[in-house]
Amino acid sequence: MGKLTNPKAELLEFVPRPSRPPVVVTYGFTGWLKKHLFGGFWNTLQTIAVFSLLYLLLKPFIEWSVIDAVWVASTRRECLEISPDGACWAGVITWFNNLIYGRYPDELQWRINLGFGLGLVWLMPLVLKKLKNKIGIAIMAVVLYPFLANYLFIGGEPNGLHYIIACVALAYLMMIYINIILIYTGCQLLEQYLEPLLERISPKKAALLSHVACWFVLSLLIVSIFQGVQLQHVPIDMWGGLFLTVVISSFAIVMALPIGVFLALGRRSNMPVIKWFSIAIIELVRSVPMITVLFMSVTMMPLFFPNTMDLNKLSQVIIAVCIFAGAYMAETVRGGLQAISPGQFDAAKSVGLGYWQTMFLIILPQALKLMIPNIVTSFISMFKDTTLVSIIGLFDIMLMARNISIDKDWYGLHSEPLVAISFIFFIVCYGMSQYSQSLEKKLKTSR
Amino acid sequence: MNNKITDISSQEKNSGTIAIKVDGLNKWFDKFHVLKDISMSVLEKKIIVICGPSGSGKSTLIRCLNHLELFQEGSVSIFGQELLNDKKSATLIRENVGMLFQNFNLFPHLTILKNCTLGPIWLKKIPESKAVEQAMVLLDRVGVSKLVSKYPGQISGGQQQRVAIARALAMEPRIMLFDEPTSALDPEMIKKVLDVMIDLAESGMTMICVTHEMQFAHQVADQIIFMSDGEIVETGPPEQVLKNPKWDRTSHFLQHILSHTS
Repeated sequence: MGKLTNPKAELLEFVPRPSRPPVVVTYGFTGWLKKHLFGGFWNTLQTIAVFSLLYLLLKPFIEWSVIDAVWVASTRRECLEISPDGACWAGVITWFNNLIYGRYPDELQWRINLGFGLGLVWLMPLVLKKLKNKIGIAIMAVVLYPFLANYLFIGGEPNGLHYIIACVALAYLMMIYINIILIYTGCQLLEQYLEPLLERISPKKAALLSHVACWFVLSLLIVSIFQGVQLQHVPIDMWGGLFLTVVISSFAIVMALPIGVFLALGRRSNMPVIKWFSIAIIELVRSVPMITVLFMSVTMMPLFFPNTMDLNKLSQVIIAVCIFAGAYMAETVRGGLQAISPGQFDAAKSVGLGYWQTMFLIILPQALKLMIPNIVTSFISMFKDTTLVSIIGLFDIMLMARNISIDKDWYGLHSEPLVAISFIFFIVCYGMSQYSQSLEKKLKTSR
Repeated sequence: MNNKITDISSQEKNSGTIAIKVDGLNKWFDKFHVLKDISMSVLEKKIIVICGPSGSGKSTLIRCLNHLELFQEGSVSIFGQELLNDKKSATLIRENVGMLFQNFNLFPHLTILKNCTLGPIWLKKIPESKAVEQAMVLLDRVGVSKLVSKYPGQISGGQQQRVAIARALAMEPRIMLFDEPTSALDPEMIKKVLDVMIDLAESGMTMICVTHEMQFAHQVADQIIFMSDGEIVETGPPEQVLKNPKWDRTSHFLQHILSHTS
């Protein structure tokens, strides 16, 4: 070490050259065209060949779907009279409401919109920078929001436990937003106004107590306000369309990760019972087709529950889909866990972290970040796989699309509804994939 | 059992607390006997350097000291606390023992500052503001206080290793274990890491270093342990082990190392 330095004392000092901006390689759009599409004879030839092939393939589709298409008509016969070779979008447009909401009564569909709207409103604070306790908000969204949404969707008398939980959830949401307003106007949090009062009773837990107290008061307020509002009961049989697809797949997507994480940790566990149990579930579920699992959920699941518990078809299906999704997710997560170097476990242990702390603070954040592309791929395929529930008679978007062709006005209209729902699926799935990519960029921490 | 007690502090037995006591330690990886009857004791505030050819069990030995590796026979006690084969004992031991690794092993998803405050916040239950304050002092001490908001992937190896030292110190350990802390670094960075280690040694930390930096060993070590094939071949003060080793095996190894570094 020290000996290696040069003995000559008077050396010139080395000053690094300043960095230059990178050389620009493309010159606008035409430059790009020249470089990538028409650079040289063969490149030009290939470009022309590919484009003419595309033209040949796309032309008939565009003629069918846009140029010759019929947008306004009252029956399929009318469509065929106007343009026999074009698509009959009029049928899809007439049925569009049913594609989205299934057989849910038209005048009550605002409740579905409100339900999903509240979900978005609940998740929006998660992007705010000033807000703390985001994990709490997210967990509450997972735990409480389903009750609120379900109450809105299904309706019923404003009494009973379900109504109260829905009100408690709404109170929590209100509290988040009151606090956001208070934070951004520079005031204290709502519960901090109450804290000095409660400090006399229990100084240590004053913060928690005042939080709960505010929540409780707001809940009472909301329970009494909405006491007079009657939401008409809509039985689950009436749910359908994209709405039902989203309900089932969001359960699957939200539950898949926790189930998957615990199954994956279980599979790597040293405790034999947990290990074999996890392996059994993962391998069993993965080796059985999803349709089988769905049929079994409807016919066999009631055998495993007490007679007094009246499970409807939807909840049976949701349980089955969640387990299915979780088992697949477990293997995805396990792949991520294996990519983490053993050194990270050593380091976490040497700092003194226990098993769960090591997993949730050190290993899983890294593993899940690595697995974002795979996780989102699973999410996308889960979203698409839920169309299989149409086979066991749930009126999801797929079954609604098939039903257009047996409607007496639109008899035989097969392709157009399928093209339309493909388009809807594409928008949703492409959105998920884009979101995952922006998430990856945001979470990137190394060079 | 053939217990060659290699008590490296026999002359000073009454002059300090025994920090680490290893007695008849045996360990096997499957059928491979990695550690053979290791016995030693280390007094508080002493610096021990363990050297030897690769595969001689040096790393395994110090990993046994903070329960990263389990052993099949013998006993290890840290400040009188026996190391048992359960989680509770592991947590108790790790409170007192910090460790550095060859590959730094910083947590890549956390900033430098959070790497250093994670342990104190979650384990010592120190409020965040205070943990940050303490971490800043330590990061300043190891000379990386300008990098606190960067991620480990954005700083050099030498800086990472110094952050790792700060992270270990944040838990206020009484003993620090170093597992070849400079082996993955280039010479310019080695110097800075060694400077921090020397500073640490002078502040009275009990240290056990597995390293091939003989100059460092010569400068700060109280004892050098030379290991080969899972056994302690030779032990003594640096002057003795480095200048006139008793065993042929030691001098052979030292010749190799010294001819390589100079």
